[in-house]
Parts: sequence; C-alpha cells; structure tokens
Amino acid sequence: MNLETLLFVTAGGLVLGALYALMATGLAVVWTTLGIFNFAHGAFIAAGAYIAWQISSADASGLGYLAGALGSVVGMFVVGVICYALLVKPFERQPNLVLLSVITTLAGATILESGIDIVWGARSKQLSRIAEGDVSLFGVTISANEAALLVFVIVILIVLGVFLRRAPAGRAMRAVAQNRESAQLMGLDVPKLYAIAFGLSASLAALAGIFLGSIRFMSPTMGTDPLMKALIVVIFGGVARFTSPIFAAFIVGLIEAFATFYAGLYWAPAVLFAIMIAVLIVKPEGLFGKYERTVQ
Amino acid sequence: MSGALLEVRDLAGGYEPVQIFQNVSLTMSSDTSIGLFGPNGHGKTTFLRTLSGIIDPWRGDIVFQGQQLNRPGERGSRRFRNFNYDAVTRRRMNPKLVARAGLIHVPQGNLLFPEMTVEETLSVAPAASAGRGRPKDMLEQVHTLFPRVYERRHHKIRFLSGGERQMVAIGVGLMAAPKLLILDEPTLGLSPKLRHELSAAIRTIKATGVPLIVVDQDVEFLQTLIDTLYLFDHGSISRKIERAEMPSHQEIMAMLFGETAR
Ligand SMILES: Nc1ncnc2c1ncn2[C@@H]1O[C@H](COP(=O)(O)OP(=O)(O)OP(=O)(O)O)[C@@H](O)[C@H]1O
Ligand SMILES: [Mg+2]
Repeated sequence: MNLETLLFVTAGGLVLGALYALMATGLAVVWTTLGIFNFAHGAFIAAGAYIAWQISSADASGLGYLAGALGSVVGMFVVGVICYALLVKPFERQPNLVLLSVITTLAGATILESGIDIVWGARSKQLSRIAEGDVSLFGVTISANEAALLVFVIVILIVLGVFLRRAPAGRAMRAVAQNRESAQLMGLDVPKLYAIAFGLSASLAALAGIFLGSIRFMSPTMGTDPLMKALIVVIFGGVARFTSPIFAAFIVGLIEAFATFYAGLYWAPAVLFAIMIAVLIVKPEGLFGKYERTVQ
Repeated sequence: MSGALLEVRDLAGGYEPVQIFQNVSLTMSSDTSIGLFGPNGHGKTTFLRTLSGIIDPWRGDIVFQGQQLNRPGERGSRRFRNFNYDAVTRRRMNPKLVARAGLIHVPQGNLLFPEMTVEETLSVAPAASAGRGRPKDMLEQVHTLFPRVYERRHHKIRFLSGGERQMVAIGVGLMAAPKLLILDEPTLGLSPKLRHELSAAIRTIKATGVPLIVVDQDVEFLQTLIDTLYLFDHGSISRKIERAEMPSHQEIMAMLFGETAR
C-alpha cells in the first residue's frame, strides 16, 4: 500500500467517522438526558432526508438546498418533540421505562418508515450535493461534498459542545440528566428540557440524513444501518464525556474504511465487531471510561 | 387564607400503592420557623417531597402565600393493578411552579449533579428565583456564608466531601431567593465540627429573615432555630409544641416511645 492509497482510505474513514459522530451524538443526547435508547433515531434520519428532499428537490417544491436543510432541521425538531410526547412521556414514571421505551421507539420507527413509504414511495431518491467538484489536499482528492460534510460536522459538534457547557439551557439539560429530582427542586422545567433533548436529537438526525442522502440513495430504511453503527459507537466509546462518542465515531469510521480496503466490503462489519468485542472484554465501560448516564 | 405563609390542609400522600402519611395539617406565618422531629422512616421526607411537588398528594391542599399549589381533587381509585394510570391522569402538582413561587426544598442526602462543577451548579440555581433578587448578590451571599464553597468553585460536585456538598446544596437553595426554605436533615452524617459550622450558617440564614422548615434528629439544634416543633410519627403529626414549653431530648423520646426509651 503506497502513501496515496493510505491517505485516500484515511480520508474515506474520516468522512464515515463524521457521519457516525453526528448520529452517535444525537443518540447520546437522548440517552444521557432521558436514560433511554431511541430506536427511532434511524427513522428520524430517513425522515429528515425526505423532508429535505421534498423542500429542496427540483422534482418537488424546488426551494433550494438551504431551505431544504433548514426546513428539515426545524421540522424534525417538531417531529422529535411529538415522538417524545407519544412514545416516552406516558411511561416516564414507570420503573421499567428502559424496556418499555425499547418497544415504543421501535414501534415509532416502524410507523415512521411506513409513513415515509406511503408518502414518498419506495423509489430511490437522492439529495443534491452541498458543493460540486473535487478538492485536493496533501495529494488526496475527495469530492468537495465530502470535504464540506467533514467541516460542517466538526463545526456543528463544536457548537453543540459549547451549548451544553456554557448556555443556560445546555447546563440545565446536563443538570436534569445527572439528577432529575434536584433539577425539579431547582425550578427547572423538566418535561420541557426532555422535549428539547428529544427535538435536538431529531434535528441532529435530520442533518445526518441530509448528508447521507447526498452520498447514498435514499430509502425509507436508509437509517437502519447507520443506527447500528451509531449504537456500536456509543457502546464502544462510552458516554462519559460529550466527546467520547465523537472520538469513537472517527475510530470506528477509520476501522471500517481500512477493513473494507483490506478485507472487502462483506467482511468489514465482522472485523468491526471483532475489534469491538475485544475492546469491551478489556474495558467493559467503553474505550473512554465510565459507562454512565452523564453528560460531561 | 390571608396572613399565613404556608397552610397545609389534611394532606395525605405516599408512594404508589403505599400510603405513607395522612391527616397532616399545619399553618405557619412568615415570621416563624418550624421544626419536624420524628423517628426514622415515618414519612417526614415523603411529606416534604409532597410539599415541593416531587410526588403528588393523594388528598388535601397546599396553600402558599394565598396561592393553591395543587390542582384540587383527590387521587382517583386505582382499581386495575395492571393499568398505567400515568397515561390518563394529570399530575396534581408542578414542582417547577412550587419552586418559582419561592417554596424551596433542600432535600435530604442531596447528591446534586456529580459531573458539574460547583460554579456551574450554582449558575443553574437562579432558575427558581423567578426574578426575585439578583443572582450576583445571592452568589455573593452564598460565598460569604460558606467560604469553602467559594474555594471549591472549580471542582466537580462528585469530588466534594459530604459537608461541602451539603453547603453547596444549601447554597443552591439560597440562590433561588427563597420565601420559605425547607431543610431536610441538613446536618445528617456530619462531624461535630462541621455540624456546628453548618448550624451557625443556618442560624445566619434565619437571621436574614428567611422562614425555615427544618427536619433534624438533634432537638437541641432545632430549639435554637424554631418557634414551633411538630412531632411526626406514624405518618402524621402527633403533637405540636410551642417554643416556651419545648422539652428536652429525653422527654421527647419518652413521648414518642413511651417509658422504655433511653
Ligand atoms: N421512593 C420510594 N418508594 C417507595 N417507598 C419509599 C420511597 N422512599 C421512601 N419510602 C418509604 O417511605 C417510608 C417513609 O420514608 P421517609 O424517607 O419519608 O422517612 P423519614 O421520616 O424521612 O425518615 P428519616 O428520618 O430516616 O429520613 C419508609 O418506610 C420508606 O421505606
Ligand atoms: Mg428523611
């Protein structure tokens, strides 16, 4: 393997990693605040992509890329809040919430995916790219779209990190995540913060969907495979800090890219799982420490 | 009712499906402080959690500054054991509104937010103050009252000692500019020295004009603080004792447990 291929594969891995980071962070926001795993996240990704397509595509409303992205992010925030109210809120005070929410969010995922199928049909669609052409850096050429994706994801994650650390609403969300009762006694609006967490997570899913829809074909179940990867990332990295799933996402992306290169597309998931199991045997709480429901 | 700061009428509550306390009525005015004293596990904490809206009352009313905090009504019958009543019943208390009205509860054995720093924790707290007082002044007050809190401001809560954590918890209560401050066993599990320090701080808080509801196992400490003592056992108030006739610890033990105590 010469240097050029190495760089090429690395670039591919970083792009994958950026996508996984976006999805895993979305999952982690809900998991750390509400303590549940949202299996509808994959369907959120698909729904976000389809809403963006409906608004932006020349075959539909044709309002342009930016309007599509914005509409999708805002629309999915609302969808997220509605899903929270229907799928999670009624069971919030039940002791077996974790198990119940697995079933309800899976049900939600199925309903959303079928809904997409009914509204938009099963024919594959594709979103337009952010930027056309290629960019070359250090002798590697990747598409401008993928380069833009990488930059956007990093910016979005930094903004999110600053929001959680500095903004009053972000701090309040971390507070609720760490001790719900204390947060209530301090006058924080817990149901509202939960709804915001869910909406925020769905908005992140929408962004992931928009990016995914520009590099692959869209289908109602397009989120299933990435959701699986995001799940691996969250377990692999742990959620001890806001940044742990992000680092883990890039590691998983790189492993996947290299495994695909060396072992072929069909063996890549097997290699990934083998490495993950090995890591979890040595460090059951995830690569980056405490396997706990806290947002740092 | 006018005049009274807090009026509790015939309150009952518990943890579904077990009722913990019943027939609790008390009235306090804004220039007095009261204490609750009673054996372990008889429902004092449960009663206070009901006051602040963490759990719903089963019956009765809570009126704070003339404003009724609970939605009127009683807990409906729960005949079907396998039915999720949460899906169809509305909550009768909203802890957010209770806190924003100025009824502030510093819970027992508070763990606060383990992964947040002291400073971050105190910055979240003014949410409940709803415009009463300036956060900056209150932060200053907390720092003068507890210099330790200021020294430890960049540390995460999970690295604090029990005493320091209790100071932060009370500080959080003060940041909310309380109209009535509930302290549930503020000196529990602390060394005599820390206990002394903390009780002095609590007396200072009272001296600034904040009425208190204090639960503690130390009657001598309570006596320095409160005007009326309520004995709380088996889930209801068994006796009300005014300051003038406040008995010693031994006498109270005898009242609660009969002659065999001591
Ligand atoms: N979350 C809960 N769910 C169910 N039952 C509970 C819960 N918390 C407490 N209890 C029960 O309620 C009863 C009253 O407990 P509570 O904490 O109110 O007593 P307490 O008077 O505050 O005691 P202490 O002096 O030890 O603090 C106890 O029997 C306890 O087992
Ligand atoms: Mg107690």
